[in-house]
Amino acid sequence: MTRSSEDNMNNVAEEINKMEVDYGKNFKIIPPNDQIKELQTILRDKNTSRSDFKFYADRLIRLVIEESLNQLPYSDCSVITPTGAIYDGLKYRSGNCGVSIVRSGEAMEKGLRECCRSIRIGKILVESDADTHEAKVVYARFPEDISKRQVLLMYPIMSTGNTVVQAVNVLKEHGVSEQCIILSNLFCTPVATQMIINHFPEMKILTSELHVIAPNHFGQKYFGTD
Amino acid sequence: MSENPQSIDVPSSCSSESDTNERPETENGTVYSHDSGYENECCPASPITVPSLRPRLNSVNKPRRQRTTSTSQNTIRANEAIIRCNQRTIYTAGRPPWYNTQGQQVEPFVIGICGGSASGKTTVAQKIIESLDVPWVTLLSMDCFYKILNHKQHEAAERNEYNFDHPDSFDFSLMIDVLKKLKEGRKVEVPVYNFVTHSREIHTKTMYGANVIIFEGILTFHSAEVLEMLDMKIFVDTDADIRLARRLKRDISQRGRDLGGVLKQYSTMVKPSYSNYIAPTMQHADIIVPRGGENIIAIQLIVQHVNTQLQLRGFKVREHLAHSEMLDLPMPSSLFLLPETPQIKGLHTFIRNANTSRDEFIFYSNRLIRLVLEYALSLMPFKNVAIETPQAISYDGKRMASNRICGVSILRAGETMEQAVSEVCKNIRIGKILIQTNQSTGEPELYYLRLPKDIKDYRVILMDATVATGAAAIMAIRVLLDHDVPEENILLVSLLMAEIGVHSIAYAFPKVQIVTSAVDPEINDKFYVIPGIGNFGDRYFGTEPNSEY
Repeated sequence: MTRSSEDNMNNVAEEINKMEVDYGKNFKIIPPNDQIKELQTILRDKNTSRSDFKFYADRLIRLVIEESLNQLPYSDCSVITPTGAIYDGLKYRSGNCGVSIVRSGEAMEKGLRECCRSIRIGKILVESDADTHEAKVVYARFPEDISKRQVLLMYPIMSTGNTVVQAVNVLKEHGVSEQCIILSNLFCTPVATQMIINHFPEMKILTSELHVIAPNHFGQKYFGTD
Repeated sequence: MSENPQSIDVPSSCSSESDTNERPETENGTVYSHDSGYENECCPASPITVPSLRPRLNSVNKPRRQRTTSTSQNTIRANEAIIRCNQRTIYTAGRPPWYNTQGQQVEPFVIGICGGSASGKTTVAQKIIESLDVPWVTLLSMDCFYKILNHKQHEAAERNEYNFDHPDSFDFSLMIDVLKKLKEGRKVEVPVYNFVTHSREIHTKTMYGANVIIFEGILTFHSAEVLEMLDMKIFVDTDADIRLARRLKRDISQRGRDLGGVLKQYSTMVKPSYSNYIAPTMQHADIIVPRGGENIIAIQLIVQHVNTQLQLRGFKVREHLAHSEMLDLPMPSSLFLLPETPQIKGLHTFIRNANTSRDEFIFYSNRLIRLVLEYALSLMPFKNVAIETPQAISYDGKRMASNRICGVSILRAGETMEQAVSEVCKNIRIGKILIQTNQSTGEPELYYLRLPKDIKDYRVILMDATVATGAAAIMAIRVLLDHDVPEENILLVSLLMAEIGVHSIAYAFPKVQIVTSAVDPEINDKFYVIPGIGNFGDRYFGTEPNSEY
């Protein structure tokens, strides 16, 4: 890539990022702060070592998972503290599960397990056809009663959104309604976001960054297959 | 039993030693009397930070160089600081607050003891320490400030011809510097003098703050600057014959020297120095103690006076903090409260519930701790950077402005946060401060600290799981300030705080950033936060007594 076309691309990227597009109430970016920006910077930096990459990716994943769990339904619950006083807290409902999209989505399973020790986790494998670039589901395995559960769908990088669309279609085929799916994501592009919202307006989407270029090296670097 | 803390000796030191100077610790987390480390030193009268103690007869029979100096030997014992009753371990005396409720340093009381060789200065110092009702006393000897001898002087010393009793043999500027810092409550490195090589050891003794500092030596009144720093000046005036007799006895029977040599040294150097430099300084003394350590009445008078002075400076920090009237104030701007999300509230519901099992308590606490620490890190200063990505575009990101961050946990509950801090900061250094509440006074007391070297160059994440009155946190912050950490570089992180604690800390240290996940309105008369979590450390480590609240 020549210097000028690179600059050009940067400019386009900046402009697109500046555009304030309203993606509706179901699309959320985790509250940004300098610390999260640093994590994103390290993950995008091509000079980051693999061990650093994994360390900081796991931290960002943990934050996104924690924030995704905030989207789950809960009810009020008062408890008595050891000092004998009452604390008005809340309680999450049981009946949640995770579903990761193989392979990069599996990087987020550890973060989920660290927050919910015994949560059930299903998997979907979506592969792109080498010739047509069409995404195709080749494997899916879910908890039997998934239609009754809230589903945390995990997929860290979205550039086109094709893979996620296929995965959600499979979930819907298994009786999961759109409203019950929360998509946990680290980096997504405006294109992918728009595509998913067009297909599934009721699904909740949570990401850490909306940027015109997605760090597509994520899976390879995280698993060390680059 | 804790009504009589004087009957129990306490850990001798709150010195933050350098890591090269390891001393044994027990593995099980109980700090037992960790002393005796002083015996192996070449300079027996090296500075020792001692709580109130009984002197020990010096029974160390190690071969030593025959000392030709006129200073004394003293080693002070520190042993059990622990009482066990009903399967609870009670710590009897650490260091009580040395600052007022605003966190400001209260100047220690400095006693200077001067007197001729073998006049009994150390005995007087020890008797004062014994009778003082103050557990935190620092004893500093002039011996530490002998100058380093060059080769020629070294050889003269071997022949007993170097005059160790002359003012020129002391490094007064270093002495003044050390005293000044001690008086300001700062951490100081005191040299350890080696009498064999006549040079300073590579390692130094770290001394840190005290309520009372006793500075003893033959020429303590020689320098006008030192005199100015002394709050009380004692001259021990023992008859010259008795002093000579003691010296003869000591040097001949204990150090195997011959009569002629001792007498020669005495008549050519010790005696003239006394007449020329030591005796004339007697005029500066506030009180002259004849007969040295035997003079019980004089010592009682001194102790009475010191106690009165200390009472004038004393403070009941925690009680004062618990009852201060700052509750109607708005929350300070230095408080950073995590946004209350359903998850955080849900985690609080788990850990606050008295019926939560320990397994779940630990699990959910750890999750909450992680969130609090991630949030704390976002408060660090960041700088803008542009980086290259594998996608061949540049990216405007941020990096932390400095990677010099260290964690300091306040034992015990703060330790629960250490794992999480190392999970968010790669290879972070972690220091520890042990502060325990004195069961009889309710005051926090400092027992132990070990901090990374050069902590002053770090941003410090100070960790304690819960903060009620803020007394322990204030003490820990004071310790960090005394180690020259700038106030604005300290971040206090906890899971839960009481409003009053937030106010007290913010009032004392407005530049310290306070991070927590919840602020509760009240504390009860046992200083627990209401509604609170209970005793976080006990619940986390599984050491709850049957009824505590």
